[in-house]
Amino acid sequence: MQNPLLAILKTGIQTQRQLFSELPPEATGLPSVTDASCSGCGQCARACPTQAITLGRDAQSSVVQLDRGRCLGCRACIECCPTRTLVEDRSTRTAVRTREECIISNRPAPSAPISTVSPIFRRSLHIREVSTGDNAADLEVIASTNAMFDVARFGVHFVASPRFADALLVTGPVGRGMREALRRCYDAMAEPRLVIAAGTSAISGGIHRGGYAEANGIIDLPVAAYVPGDPPHPWSIIHGILLAMGRTA
Amino acid sequence: MTMMLTSPSAFTMLETTPEALAPRAQALARQPGWRYGHLTARALDTQHVAVDMLLLDTRQGGGTILSAPLPKGVCEYPALTPYLPAAHWAERAVGDFFGLHAAGHPRWKSLLLHDPMWPADLFPLAGAEQATCRREPYRFLEVQGEGIHEIPVGPIHAGIIEPGHFRFSCVGEIVTNLEIRLGYQHRGIEKRLTEVPWQQARFVAESASSDTAAGNALAHAVAVEQLLGITVPERAAALRTIALEIERLGNHLGDLGALSGDIGYSAGAALFPPLRGATLALAQLLTGNRRQRWFIRPGGVARDLDATRLRALRQGVIELARRAEEHTPLVLENPGVIERMDGTGRLTPALARDFGIVGPAGRASGSGYDARLHFTHGLFPALAPPPAHRETGDVLARAQIKADEIAASLAIITQLLEMLPETPVCAPLPPSLPASAIGIGIVEAWRGELLHWLITDEAGNIARYAIKDPSFNNWTGLAIAVRGNLVTDFPLCNKSFNLSYSGNDL
Repeated sequence: MQNPLLAILKTGIQTQRQLFSELPPEATGLPSVTDASCSGCGQCARACPTQAITLGRDAQSSVVQLDRGRCLGCRACIECCPTRTLVEDRSTRTAVRTREECIISNRPAPSAPISTVSPIFRRSLHIREVSTGDNAADLEVIASTNAMFDVARFGVHFVASPRFADALLVTGPVGRGMREALRRCYDAMAEPRLVIAAGTSAISGGIHRGGYAEANGIIDLPVAAYVPGDPPHPWSIIHGILLAMGRTA
Repeated sequence: MTMMLTSPSAFTMLETTPEALAPRAQALARQPGWRYGHLTARALDTQHVAVDMLLLDTRQGGGTILSAPLPKGVCEYPALTPYLPAAHWAERAVGDFFGLHAAGHPRWKSLLLHDPMWPADLFPLAGAEQATCRREPYRFLEVQGEGIHEIPVGPIHAGIIEPGHFRFSCVGEIVTNLEIRLGYQHRGIEKRLTEVPWQQARFVAESASSDTAAGNALAHAVAVEQLLGITVPERAAALRTIALEIERLGNHLGDLGALSGDIGYSAGAALFPPLRGATLALAQLLTGNRRQRWFIRPGGVARDLDATRLRALRQGVIELARRAEEHTPLVLENPGVIERMDGTGRLTPALARDFGIVGPAGRASGSGYDARLHFTHGLFPALAPPPAHRETGDVLARAQIKADEIAASLAIITQLLEMLPETPVCAPLPPSLPASAIGIGIVEAWRGELLHWLITDEAGNIARYAIKDPSFNNWTGLAIAVRGNLVTDFPLCNKSFNLSYSGNDL
């Protein structure tokens, strides 16, 4: 039998040096809206299983609005778009600071409010993760802590208790069964504290939205960063964490 | 009142009375080759409800549903649990969703919808005018005796893990009883599946437990295709099989690393995450997504595998197989690891059988059941490997089963990548589902037998959609396995089962 230490040495350094590397060509990314003229055919809106797309018109042409906070990344809209207004986004820097910024369109975005992120967590952030019904997102959060993505290199650590935590990172759509537990976890944290919504289901409930379980995402906590995706890529989760810390744009 | 249901497959429905249901189900389950499938209920109209018991015939790859309609105004039926202990959580779930009381159930209480989060009179799947029995406030089993103390844990746990409540009753550090109370993540999946257009149901079905995307999507697709009577093209069946095996491979490799971590064996905990990462890269090559989301769909798969990606997959699998073969003995032949896992968290074959334990946990406790041998999904049963087998039922046996299955999955994937049939990857679907029909998809997902069961109404809409995650019965296996163990060994036992909370909570 091989010596385990030798096996580890042979494995070599696994940590990705390139931060926020683009998705490889074989991967499918979240949809993005280009300024290619939209014919207003509406196929995308009908194909979307979570009603993330709305169509309108202005003086020039059709306006397509895509709410990434509801998007599953299923590609149904990209596959049926005849004008290539909806295309794949290969970026992993997909997190945003406000719910409004999750909504993208083929019109210039209104200038985003100048964000005022307190510098207090710039150098280190301790996070309590709470899972509420999307275990694939949990796996990607765990992946962000492994040797390949290594979120610890940014001074970010996942901790066992809300008492130790600066931030609450939520995955899943927060149905009736978890709302009270999540609230108590937040209340147990010392101020200042942040909340990060990791994944489409945490942002809006995603595919679960609108049911009797009221699994409509985080509704009563102030969210500092939104990470769309079902589940989001580990780099996107790290992007959301760094956004909340004020370390990246 | 009753709906006549047809199934183009090997599943038949027989009507019976509530009184005859339990003895008939027990008699069927005792036939050679038969086993417990799933128990649920179904609203027949706004006033009437039937209790449906599915028993599986592993030799025919089919089964029988014993359906017992209850008289109008009655919300009680004789419990099956005293005859078939495997039904004990399923009957409680029927209580939560339909307001039916299983009279004579030995541990009657809510399973998923607990007070005060859920109103005592909310029964989301019951008919609007159906008689219902009120849900009682939840009471934990209180173990009495000198020196017994309780340790409540959860719903939120210390790690990055799903929520659930564990109530340990201990003498000193020894667990005498563990009561597992889940349901915190209930999202109303089964109801939602009857509300969305059937063409979009796959998105909901796949999200039942999103860490088993390929398994859930495949079980859903098989159920729908069975209903429609369509066969998927061979290449699609092969690509589905590869997706299912990659999911098994990745999760089992991850488990070997996590088990190492739980016993403080840092070398194992360091060596396996990169292997798991390598399987995610394979998944991304095949499906476009690390977690294989939205790849398998009724009719086939979402995209074909081109020559470039096929080549990359072949190389990746060869490399992964080499590393897995090299690293596995470093964990499972390490005397310190064996010492720690041997005899820990034992589940005896008799109890595993009685409680319907499936998947690697069942096969570690002497069961020969692997759905790949019996039920059509992907290229199974034709390509089914001989089932992994252990008798000791401890943490070591469950780890060894996973190691055996890693090797078997790699062999299946390697073989398929060499002989991919040249056909389209998706068959066209008709615009509607047949009326009053049953479709049942049974898949050996990485945690074990995963069952999607759908029934359409007279208009061809999905009237009832039931899911049984492999974890649903296996949670009881975990509760039994930790008895007599140190409470500090719970994380190790828990990881050796590695069950889904959200697949259970639905």
